[in-house]
Amino acid sequence: MTMLRNSPERWGWFAQLLHWSIALLIIGLAVVGLVMGDLPNSPDKLKVFALHKSVGLTVLALVLIRLAWRFIDPRPPYPATIPPWQRRLSDLTHGLLYVLMLAMPLSGWLYNSASNFPLRWFGWFAVPPLSGPDKAIKSFAHEAHEIGFYLLALLMLLHVAAAMKHHFLDRDATLARMTPGLPPPTAPDKEPA
Amino acid sequence: MNPTQPIATTLALLLATSAAARDWTTQAEASSLRFKGTAQGEAFEGRFARFTPSIRFDPAALEQARFDVGITLASADSQNEERDGTMKGSDFFDVENYPEARFIAREFSAQGNAFIAQGSLELRGTRQPVSLRFTWTEDAKGARLEGKATLDRTAFGVGGGDWADPESIAHEVLVETTLILVPGTPAAAQ
Repeated sequence: MTMLRNSPERWGWFAQLLHWSIALLIIGLAVVGLVMGDLPNSPDKLKVFALHKSVGLTVLALVLIRLAWRFIDPRPPYPATIPPWQRRLSDLTHGLLYVLMLAMPLSGWLYNSASNFPLRWFGWFAVPPLSGPDKAIKSFAHEAHEIGFYLLALLMLLHVAAAMKHHFLDRDATLARMTPGLPPPTAPDKEPA
Repeated sequence: MNPTQPIATTLALLLATSAAARDWTTQAEASSLRFKGTAQGEAFEGRFARFTPSIRFDPAALEQARFDVGITLASADSQNEERDGTMKGSDFFDVENYPEARFIAREFSAQGNAFIAQGSLELRGTRQPVSLRFTWTEDAKGARLEGKATLDRTAFGVGGGDWADPESIAHEVLVETTLILVPGTPAAAQ
């Protein structure tokens, strides 16, 4: 049974919950974010934007919790079979993923603030603006949000590709130990050299 | 000296003073016309940068008072490009077809230390009665008018169809104005 906290072999269930809920929310945000700008101007469009913003802020909160949890509950070490260069690349990719997972909601929030739109988290409470109305900040934040999106999409693809490689080619526990209900692959077809 | 001359001079001065006291010129930089609405449950504010008030008012002669204010709708600015674009578009002000709104009031009454101007507003091709409640303070240099009116945007067809939902955008819009006035007829309004 998976424990709350990480073990040397496996991510704890809290880390897994954060990982997968953030992943699903980001994919949803990406899909909605890509199409919502082209919707015809209507109250429904405003609602879709409001939803994107609320979900984005939720991801920001979850990422902050996740970072805090990493300090409380250090990550399990890499499986012994993973060579140092892959560990360095993995550390770099994960570091960049965290940077982007923070930069995306923050740039969105800033974009919204500089555009002078109010912001209510799922209609419950007002979220304070990060800046006053400002055209220069608005265009900067928009650029950052857009470039950040492509970088994040690229990194997520890389992240998924690496997980697939570890699971199906290397047949190590990298993906299984983060995934509820996924057993680790059986022994590799070939013994490592 | 002709003994009747001082009387004539006094009379002329009085006439000039009373005529000048009724008509006012607005100091555009110091004056403002603002609106407050609610969208998605959040209040927002904006202003009309261009409006031309023609004000004739004397608290002692309400029957002669007259307000005539033209408002350039394309000058609406809530410091939000997207919202302002929508506001000027065909679903709301439709500035292409109705570039100007106009408030005209001829009936005035005193209410406590304030006044009510009962008039009508023409907006987006629809004319509806609108009352402006205002205070009036006068000193040697000029006068200050602080006014408020509440409108139902849907009475003017501003934001119909899908936009008519009050949950999305409240029907009630508060309009506020501050006019800093100096005595005299505005040359531009002649």
